[in-house]
Amino acid sequence: MSGFLILNGLVNGIIVGVLYSLIGCSLNVLYGVLRVVNFAHGEFLIVGCFFGYVLFETFGIHPLISVPLAAVVFFAVGYGLSYLLMPRLSKADDPETSSFLMMYGVSLMLGAGMLMIFEADTRTLDFRFEPISVKIGVLYVPTARLVALAVNLLVVGLLTWFLYFTLYGKALRAAIMNREAIQVVGVNIHRLSAVAFGIAAGLAGITGVMISLVFPAFDPFAGPDYTLIGFIVIVIGGLGHPIGAIVGGVIFGLTEQMATVFLPQAMAPIVGFSVMILVIFLRPRGLFGKVQQR
Amino acid sequence: MAISAASEERVAAIRNGMWYGLLLALTVWFALIPAFGGNLPFFFYLMLWVTMASAFNIISGFTGYMPFGYVAFYGIGAFTTAILTKKLGVPVYFSLPIAGLAGVALSLLFAKTLKLNGIYFAITSLALAIIVRLVITNMPEEITGGSFGISLGSRAEPVKSFYVMLGTMLAALLTVTWLARSRLGMALKAIRDDSEAAEAMGINVPRARLKAWMMSAFFPSMCGGIEAWYTNVVDTGTAFDVLITAKTIIYAMAGGLGTVTGPVLGAVIMVWLDDLFWQRFPLLNLFLLGTAIVLLIQFMPRGIVGSLMQRWPKLRRYIM
Repeated sequence: MSGFLILNGLVNGIIVGVLYSLIGCSLNVLYGVLRVVNFAHGEFLIVGCFFGYVLFETFGIHPLISVPLAAVVFFAVGYGLSYLLMPRLSKADDPETSSFLMMYGVSLMLGAGMLMIFEADTRTLDFRFEPISVKIGVLYVPTARLVALAVNLLVVGLLTWFLYFTLYGKALRAAIMNREAIQVVGVNIHRLSAVAFGIAAGLAGITGVMISLVFPAFDPFAGPDYTLIGFIVIVIGGLGHPIGAIVGGVIFGLTEQMATVFLPQAMAPIVGFSVMILVIFLRPRGLFGKVQQR
Repeated sequence: MAISAASEERVAAIRNGMWYGLLLALTVWFALIPAFGGNLPFFFYLMLWVTMASAFNIISGFTGYMPFGYVAFYGIGAFTTAILTKKLGVPVYFSLPIAGLAGVALSLLFAKTLKLNGIYFAITSLALAIIVRLVITNMPEEITGGSFGISLGSRAEPVKSFYVMLGTMLAALLTVTWLARSRLGMALKAIRDDSEAAEAMGINVPRARLKAWMMSAFFPSMCGGIEAWYTNVVDTGTAFDVLITAKTIIYAMAGGLGTVTGPVLGAVIMVWLDDLFWQRFPLLNLFLLGTAIVLLIQFMPRGIVGSLMQRWPKLRRYIM
């Protein structure tokens, strides 16, 4: 029996872990290029949940069609936000910490805004795949989770292809490595930053729709929980390293799901945080990152 | 422009006179509030936030850290006071200082995080605060009351706790005033601006940072304890609310981090605004707080006092 539970924990760990990877990727693209730690990421995700929810409830649009729609709409909003928020911020004494605080303000605004529009009720995306679950070996896995896993893997694949094989992606990685040097070779850093912000927001939109498929429910208060998960993931993987975030996400997802197998439900978050603290003290730069100590 | 020693002394006398005069006036005003039937809760929380913002200023404004889990000290103070007073029957005047020391002990436990840089420190600090909350929530119910928290029973004494809060606020303000002019304060600012250069000048960097961190932890723990005494109830949801950290940071920042008067002014203005918003638009409150944060960072990152000093550098000599 316990072998069955462990197997179940592994499968769920991978499904949830890949979702966490996407959360981390978005944070790391933004941090890498703009040095902005997005404290509002959780709220971005919940807005994404509501996006898919409203489209399905009002227009009957299939969640899988909402995914590309969310990507486009969120990209546009993120692109715009970058021009609105960044120019003054980059002149601050300590842009990193300032942006961290500012995004906390944005998170409060979004959280309160959603509370005013959608009220405090817990929502569930009432969409069923046929069949409702698939038998893999001895396990029954919900189809929605498998579909989400497939979509997430596809997005991770596309992102990797974009970052490593397209000119824009290479410019983005170059900006992560050295923001000054890339301007010398004639890259318009402002537009590149806006693209990075757009990609981060677009990823958040996609992840949001996926969250409503993978997890049973969401509400306007859930944002900070996802933000924290994102922070853990990027610290484990290394700040500003998109591939590190993917590895970090899977590690954290597996740890969290395995912890629920062996420990009381309430202890699972402590295990997650402890992994993060452990990584910070053993490898302060994260598994892939580069950070100086003082 | 050469400034003679005599005129420099006169400037210092004016600066100190104005500041201590203001402190004295505030003390007398606040001390008379219970007697004249003033708005006790409003002034209690005003003093609490002035204390929080000023203590935060020590580690953030002077030393350059952004502890986003600052609420951990507040929460540990609240729970230490509640457990000692309610479960062990310790008189509250003894449990409060012990609560303050519990905060210092927690800061020593977290001391290793001080070597982390900027945003890593902020995130780690946030995670540690959440771990502390989770540990307390999951402790046996006989000790911490589980998720329901602890009620202090009939021990609420609003007026007494009001005066203890006043005393704590004065202690915090005098500590910051002393620090701003002390050797340690200079060392901290040097570390904030360039820690390597500071080390080369012979400053014991880890030691100075640790001192600031411990001072900065003592006062929020006291605040948490006094607030528990004042409201008579403690639970993990409110005692470890991230909003407490956020408000502390924003109030200190609105006035101006790194100055003595800044956090005081910021807390007074923001608590007053908060009071107005809360009464008129309860639902909008969080939204407006968020907006205030964004606008502040965008348009006045140095805060009110900091911006004034930047505009008229001569003010630096007259304002703490």
